[in-house]
Amino acid sequence: MAGARAFGFKGCRKIGGSQIRNLLNAKDFFLFDCDGVIWHGEKAIIGAPKVVSSLIKHGKNVFFVTNNCTRPRENYVNKFYRLGFTDVMQEQIFSSSYCSALYLRDVAKVQGKVYVIGGEGVRNELLQAGIPFVGDEDAPDGTIFNCALASDVKAVLVGHDDKFTFLKLAKASCYLRDPDCLFLATDVDPWHPLQDGRILPGSGCLTSALEVATGRKAMVIGKPSPFMFECISSQFRVDPAQCLMVGDRLETDMLFGANCGLDTMLTLTGISQMKTAQEYRDSDHSANQSFVPDYVVDTIADFLPAFED
Amino acid sequence: MLDSVDNVLIDCDGVIWRGDQAIPGSPDVINLLKKNGKKVFFVTNNSTKTRKMYADKLALMGFNATDDDVFGMAYCSAMYLKKVSKLQGKVYLIGSNAMRQELEKVGIQQTGVGPDPISGVQMDWANVPLDPEVKTVVVGFDEHFSYMKLNRALQYLNNPDCLLVGTNTDTRLPLEGGKAVPGTGCILKAVETAAQRQAQTVGKPNHFTYDCVASQFGLDSARCLMVVDRLDTDILLGSNCGLKTLLTLTGVSTVADAEAHQESGCPERVGMVPDYYVESIAELLPALQG
Repeated sequence: MAGARAFGFKGCRKIGGSQIRNLLNAKDFFLFDCDGVIWHGEKAIIGAPKVVSSLIKHGKNVFFVTNNCTRPRENYVNKFYRLGFTDVMQEQIFSSSYCSALYLRDVAKVQGKVYVIGGEGVRNELLQAGIPFVGDEDAPDGTIFNCALASDVKAVLVGHDDKFTFLKLAKASCYLRDPDCLFLATDVDPWHPLQDGRILPGSGCLTSALEVATGRKAMVIGKPSPFMFECISSQFRVDPAQCLMVGDRLETDMLFGANCGLDTMLTLTGISQMKTAQEYRDSDHSANQSFVPDYVVDTIADFLPAFED
Repeated sequence: MLDSVDNVLIDCDGVIWRGDQAIPGSPDVINLLKKNGKKVFFVTNNSTKTRKMYADKLALMGFNATDDDVFGMAYCSAMYLKKVSKLQGKVYLIGSNAMRQELEKVGIQQTGVGPDPISGVQMDWANVPLDPEVKTVVVGFDEHFSYMKLNRALQYLNNPDCLLVGTNTDTRLPLEGGKAVPGTGCILKAVETAAQRQAQTVGKPNHFTYDCVASQFGLDSARCLMVVDRLDTDILLGSNCGLKTLLTLTGVSTVADAEAHQESGCPERVGMVPDYYVESIAELLPALQG
């Protein structure tokens, strides 16, 4: 398996039964995306809670790596519990909002304030990390002609913001005129699916608008950037060769796995289709190989027979 | 040079005004060009004013101009939708009141203009009621742009038969008073990212703006001069349409930029080299007065 990866060729193999059992024995660390992998909205995927608790019971390390920045981690713990994943602790959850706060505090060591375009998830994580921030204090009649700018803003952080306005875009681009002001994005996902398959605009739309306004590229915290794996590695002793990244979005989860040197598995309960994975595999552009998973399952519930012994 | 030209197409921002300040000498230049029998047209990628609003602004600054001389992006977009897209049905508009007015003038109905704050939860947003008569999403400059508008545009564009048209891709919009804010290009990029597709754009360097003027007034491109301040959008348009091009240095581009394009040897970039350049449009005065 490692040899195949070294040549840039990914199997994209659908596996089951004893193949899954062998894979579970070979790996100690399981990284799961959430939306479309273990749940859809407020509904757990059938069998997923049992898969997670079985992995934990068998002594495996389980982490959840999600680009969804709309909730603080303590809120996520409640959701896990509500949906039947009763063994999950806050320390196992790595969201792009949490990791953005970690980046600002521990890597950038930002001195000064952060201008935030984002919701409760991002703000709460910044608060918990002790990082001062501004955003959303616009007077209701504030316009692009008379808005006040805060002093001492040393970073702009863009995440999912359903209260996004043109005024926020204008203010953020003012702050980013200073080349020493950092430009961070929680993630660049262009859209997110809801439970019924309808989609909503994602953080990627807001980030791209700001990139055009400023002529600058955002530093991306979430998948496919490898930073969230670095966060996990800084808190736990993780060996990439012992990891399996399980996700549903080729351009986010599989690329993330490839960027971090992890084996990858696509589950078909979410966004990406087998057909697309195969098209990437068969394409002439070598860059597309990074989107191709090593393994494919119809649902992570396919792990369950492997635990019966 | 002026003798070989009958028609002059003048860009506004950075050529004859900056914000609400006329570039010194420019009203005299324009008025003398007209007196000398040249036709003068005012062309701009800015979609926030109607032809009449621009004519009023021009008059206030001392320019001799009528509505018919003005080709602003609100007007040109309405013409594009009518003549090129041959639009049937309604438009979901992310844009200004000026755009709404120009669309209505050509008989195109729109929905969406004005503030659109968010309410409800995610399920509500994904299920916003859609007007079944909407066949195109049009994106221009909109100071009321919001997540909710982005969402509505996405819901319409989920239908692959719904068209996406952008007025222009400029990254910044100069305001009265000299400030600048993010331009239509930013708003358009947000919509294109959500819908994962590219818009058709009306404004420069697309040659529709020139075609619009030329077809209404029967212009001979060989006898046209474009006076502009940007190499990448404006001069390129001029080259592509076979017009003479004059760069003024009171706006965005510099001589160094032009020389860099010329020395590049790259055919695309050589198209961005102007035929002539002046420090400011006022330099044309002696030739016109003499």
